[in-house]
Order: sequence, then C-alpha cells, then structure tokens
Amino acid sequence: MSIIQQTINVARREIHRMLSRPIYLFSSVFVMFFCYIFFLTFFAQGLPEQLPMGIVDNDNSYVSRTLARNIDAMAQVEIVKQYSTFSEAREDMQRGKIYAIIDVAPNFEAVLLASRQPKIMYYVNDAYLIAGSLSYKDLTYISELGTAYVQQRLLQARGIVGDENLMPILQPVAIDTHLIANPYANYGIYLLNVLLPGVLQLMIIMLTVFSIGAELKEKTTAEWLGAGNQSVLAALTGKMLPYTVLFVLLGIGGNLILYRYMHYPMNGSLAWMSLATIIYVLAYQAIGIFIIGVFPRMRDAISLSAFYGLLAFTYAGFTFPIEAMPSGVQIFAELFPIRHYFKIYVNEALHNAPISYSLIYFAAMTAFLILPFLVYRRLRKQLDV
Amino acid sequence: MNNKKTNFFAWFFHETRRIIYIMLDEFRLVFRDSGLVVVFLGATALYPLLYSSIYRNETVREMPIAVVDQSNTSRSRDLVQRIDATPDLSVAYRLNNLEEAKDPFHRQKIHGVIFIPKEYSEKINRNEQATVSIYSDMSSFLYYRAMMLGANFAILQVGKDIKTERLNASGITGQSAELTAAPFDHEGNILYNEGMGFASFLLPALLILMIHQTLFFGITMIAGTAREEQRIHEDFSVHHRGRFFQTLVGKSWCYFGLYMVVTAYILLLIPRLFQLPHIGNPMDIMRFMIPFLFSVIFFSMTISVFIRNRETGLVVFLFFSVILLFMSGFSWPQSNIHWFWRTFGTLFPATFGIQGYIKINSMGADLNHVQFEYVALWIQAAVYFITTMVVYRMAENKNPAEKRIQLGE
Repeated sequence: MSIIQQTINVARREIHRMLSRPIYLFSSVFVMFFCYIFFLTFFAQGLPEQLPMGIVDNDNSYVSRTLARNIDAMAQVEIVKQYSTFSEAREDMQRGKIYAIIDVAPNFEAVLLASRQPKIMYYVNDAYLIAGSLSYKDLTYISELGTAYVQQRLLQARGIVGDENLMPILQPVAIDTHLIANPYANYGIYLLNVLLPGVLQLMIIMLTVFSIGAELKEKTTAEWLGAGNQSVLAALTGKMLPYTVLFVLLGIGGNLILYRYMHYPMNGSLAWMSLATIIYVLAYQAIGIFIIGVFPRMRDAISLSAFYGLLAFTYAGFTFPIEAMPSGVQIFAELFPIRHYFKIYVNEALHNAPISYSLIYFAAMTAFLILPFLVYRRLRKQLDV
Repeated sequence: MNNKKTNFFAWFFHETRRIIYIMLDEFRLVFRDSGLVVVFLGATALYPLLYSSIYRNETVREMPIAVVDQSNTSRSRDLVQRIDATPDLSVAYRLNNLEEAKDPFHRQKIHGVIFIPKEYSEKINRNEQATVSIYSDMSSFLYYRAMMLGANFAILQVGKDIKTERLNASGITGQSAELTAAPFDHEGNILYNEGMGFASFLLPALLILMIHQTLFFGITMIAGTAREEQRIHEDFSVHHRGRFFQTLVGKSWCYFGLYMVVTAYILLLIPRLFQLPHIGNPMDIMRFMIPFLFSVIFFSMTISVFIRNRETGLVVFLFFSVILLFMSGFSWPQSNIHWFWRTFGTLFPATFGIQGYIKINSMGADLNHVQFEYVALWIQAAVYFITTMVVYRMAENKNPAEKRIQLGE
C-alpha cells in the first residue's frame, strides 16, 4: 500500500469520526458561522451613532440653547436629558445612562456679551474608552466651531469680511487628514479582520488537540495506526487533512465575506491574503500537534491550548500595539502565527505594500511547520500502545 | 404545637448538616483534582497578573513617524520640533518626499507621515491659510489616536501663535486680541480614566470575565469528569437520591466560598497592585459579587449537564469568551448594541457583572446606581437555580442505566 493510499484511508476514517459526534462540526463550522454573523451584525454601524449625553444648562439663554441644538444636530451624539444640577447628571453617568455631560455656567450669554471670556465645561466618561473618546472629539469639534462662529462675528464687526480674509485668521493652518484605507475610522475594520481569524485559530488548535487527544484517551490508537498501515506519517497526515480542508475553506470563505461581500478594504491582492490564510491554518495545526505531542494527557493539552489560543488576541497586536508593551513581554509576540498574519494583513489589505515586504512574515508562519517534527518521535511512542 | 416546632428544627438541622456534608465533599473533589486546582486557583492567580503586566503601559507613547518638510524654513522646522515634543509622537525620519516615506511605512517602522508642503511658510507670510497633510496608519485604533492627538495639538498651537500675530497686524492687540482669538473658552475633562489608558479600560472587564470563565469551565470539567467516570450526580443518585435542592445548595456553597476569596484577590488586590482604577467601595464590590457568583455557578451547572467529557467544555465554549466580552458593552457602547444581541446578552451573568463592576470600581458608583444589574443578577441566579433542578431531574430520569451502576444493581 502506498503512503498516499494509507493517508487516504486514515482521512476517510477521520471523516467518519467527524460525523459521528457533533463536537467536530460544532467547533468548526457552527462556531465560525456564528461568529461571522455575530460580529458583522454587532459592528454593522461602523461608528457608534447618537451616543447619549446630558446637558446642565444653568444659563438657559439663546446662546446656550443654540449650542445644545447644534450638538444635537451631530450624527454621533444626542442630548437625551436636561439636568438642573451637575451632581444629578454625574449620577446618571455613573449609572451608565450618558457618556458625557456639558456644563453651561449661569450667565454664560451675559458674560460672553460683556466680552469677559466665559467657559464651557464638558466631561466625558473614559471608563468606556470608545464612547468617551468619540464624545470628546465631537464636543471639542462643536466648541471649536462655536468659537469660530463668534470670532467671525467679532472680526466682521471690525470690517474683516469674506472667507479669503476670515479663514487665514480663524484657522491659520488647516489640517488635511488622510486615514489610510479606513477613511471613516470604521470600528469593524479595525477589529474584525484580525478578531475573526483569531477565533479561527482558537478552533484549529482546540480541534487538532482534541482529535488526537481523544484517540490517546480512548485508547483507539491501534485502530488509527491500523488504518494507515502502521505508518505514523500517514496516520498524522491523514488525520489532519480533513481539518486542513475544512479550516482553509472556512478561512478563505471568511476572507471573501469580509473583502468581497462586506467590501472591507483590500488594497493589495486577495490571492496573497488567501495564501496567508492557508499557511496560517497549517501553522496552527502544527502547533496543535506540538502541544499534544509534548502533553499527551488531553486535559493538560487542552488547558494549555486554551491559554495559548486566548493570548493570540493580545499578541496579534491589533488592539494594543506590541511596541507599547513592556519589553519583557514583547518578545513572545513572535511565537504567535497570528502576529505575522496581522502584519501581512496590514501590508496587503491596508497599505498595499509590495509583496517583498511581507515575505519575512510568510517565512515566519511557515517556520511553525517544523514543530510536528520536533515531537514526532515522542508522539510515535505514544501511539504504539 | 411544641412537638411540631421541635420537628421543624430537627428537620432543619438535619438538612443543613446534609448540605454541609455535600459542600465538604465537593471541596474534597476539587482539591484532589490537580486540573481543577489549576483552573480555580492557578488560572485565577496567574491571568490577572499576566494581563495586567502586558497592558500596564496603558497607551502608545512616542510613536515613530516620518516628516516630509519640503518648506524647510524656520517656521516649518518649528512645527516639526513641536510635533516631536508631544508625548504622543516622535519624529523618527526626516525625508525629502512622500515616495521615500513608503519604505519605512511598509516595513511598519513608522505609523504616520506628516507632510509640510513647499509653500507652507510663504502662505503664512502672505497672510493666507496654509495646509499640512497627515497620513495615519489605521491598523490600530491607538496608532490613529496617537497621530491625531499629537499632530492636532502641535498644529493648533502653531496656528494660535499665527492667529495672534495676524490679529495684531490688523490692529487688534492685547486683551482684545486674546478675546477675539478665543471669545469663549472650552475645557474638556476626562473622568474615570484620566490618562485615557487602555489597561484601565480593558482590565476591569477582563477581570470579571476571568472569574466568569474559570468558574464556568471548572464546573463543566467537574461534570464532564463525573460523566466519564460514570459517577454522574453520584451524590444525589446514591446518597441523596432525589434531594436536588440540598445537592445544588451544597455544591454552590463550595464554589461560592472558594470564589469569594478568588474574587477579593482579583477585584480588590489586583487593581491596587497595578494602579488600575479602583475608586469603588470594596464592600459594595463584594456585595455586588454575591449574586454574580451565584448566577454564574447555577448558569454553569445548568449548561454542564450537556457536557459529556472533561475537555469538551473548553473545546466547544472557549470562543464564547470573546463574544461575552463584546456583548457586555464595555467597548462598543451598550446604547448602540443591536436590540437582538442586547437581549441575548441578558442571558449571561458576564453582561451584568462587567457593567456593574465597571460602574462601581471605575466610576465610583454605589449599589443604588447599579440596582438594575444587581437585581438582574439575583433574577438570573434564581432562574438558573430552577433550570439546574430541572435539568438534573431530566438527566437522572434519562439515564436509568447509569443510575443502576451507581446503585450496584
């Protein structure tokens, strides 16, 4: 029997095993479908709109009401309540009902008209960093706009009229901002291109460890090896093959959903990205084999896989950059294929860098394929029960 | 009458003793199993230390960028210097054109480019509006934020100086110029996370999730192991047959007692150790955690009936940790979560636990302010207690064979 025939035999047996218990298809197909549906509907808005905020308007003048109306007119924020005292508003902030408070002092209009430079205070809640940052940005913007409006009136009163004369004074240096590949700072684009492959790697490691670990635990290794005619290479390859196909399909299918259907930015080539996905799947399968090879007791291997798999979300460096971590923990980032996948994603999808810049990351991911060979002997001993 | 009373006390005493026995049995079970000790005590000790260390720098500082200064005048060099002086940015490359910036950008050595055009100073000298272009790496929210904070600050500062010059030139001077430049002042204040830190924002949610998930996976491991070893619900099918109530109470007291200690360590000690937000009243935090722990315990016991092997809980449900984290509304604001997912989220103790803890711990709310979450958790605890009773009974009725083994028939 040729090694190919042996491998096919093992793969055929594995497919039967996959279909015999719901856990295999649940932890691959169902989980990925669920996560795609969850995250894509969850972040469908792109940027949070109508963030609730409160106003304490002790002035209740024409000017303060105009300010409130202008804030309300912005898409991202909404004044949901008027408070008579600041402490009432703060309590609602502590209850999580509002993310920001605008505090207009009494006599604001009178002080303004008397040219004595009144002050508007606003407070944002950065315990919710995203809501807080966005509210802060919008409130700063609207305040600047308000200042500019009053300035314009003052300058016009002094005979400075027309945009060509007013603008250089109002805003001497204009800022022309280019947000590369994500012009609206869409939150889904930040997160999902890495978060979803993150879930994929979690499921790959878990199922790899589980599928081999279950044989060891249930002492069915003789039957498994038998299907491969005692060839350990055929037994391992054949066992992995159905999962490789399944996860590659799920991974590339995911790429198509993100970059084709959802039109997430793909400035480079989807082909390179898909190649990265294939190597990514293989690398994580290799890691799974390595873990169960080192810790043949499945309970240990599964716990370790869970620990490592969850750390990938941190060490991808897509939410909190690796460079910002203490140097002592930075070095571990290299031990996660998702880190290299993230770099390829940035180069391909966002920056459209020439492929030569990404080769090093492809090489790094490929290097993980050595891992199974390191535990090959140890694993063979385990199988020969 | 008197007799009846004695009977009641005798019964009460008897049942309480039984519950305590069940609890002690469960403690023995947990501490004899090294895997469970690792989850309940090892992971809960290690995870908070690990994640607090990783995120302890809170934010991106001195992010490397490139500057293309084609103006190359004292005015433009002043701007570059001011950009470099911000805590957010650091000018790593000074280049001649945008083309040159591509290489370090593609190597991901820099995360932004600032372009000052040739006519920058001329325009300022001619009393026109000058323009500066910013190119920001969008691969991470924190890169974008550092770029915007640093560049906006420096450019606005330069703009303010020029504005004063120009007002002076048009005959508006002194206090009058100051007033025209800023007819009213505005001041933004950041509350509850003054440094806009990432750890201060993420860790409180993660800490609750650690409690939730270790407890959940520990309990599913107990159930899976029991099933594998064919001693499913041994405690009630043999010794305490039909006594679901006492069994549940006894077991839950064991987990609860263990996790009050774990919770105090994770929620009270860790934030102080790592300078994370901790302005809440410790007593309020612990009181809030009582219904949280009970709802997690009974939720986990309900689910664990469906777990057949020790390891399957982790394989099947680990991904859900990520879902729970986002569904809690700590990041994407709760007000903007689709009603369907918000409703779905009410099924899980983590949702209310994370919200309530952030409010008390990070925002100094007291128990009154988190009444909604507090009551919701008690309701969950009650509902999941009942569902656990139901599924235990169903499991017992469904597995007469297993029962027979237990009874030695």
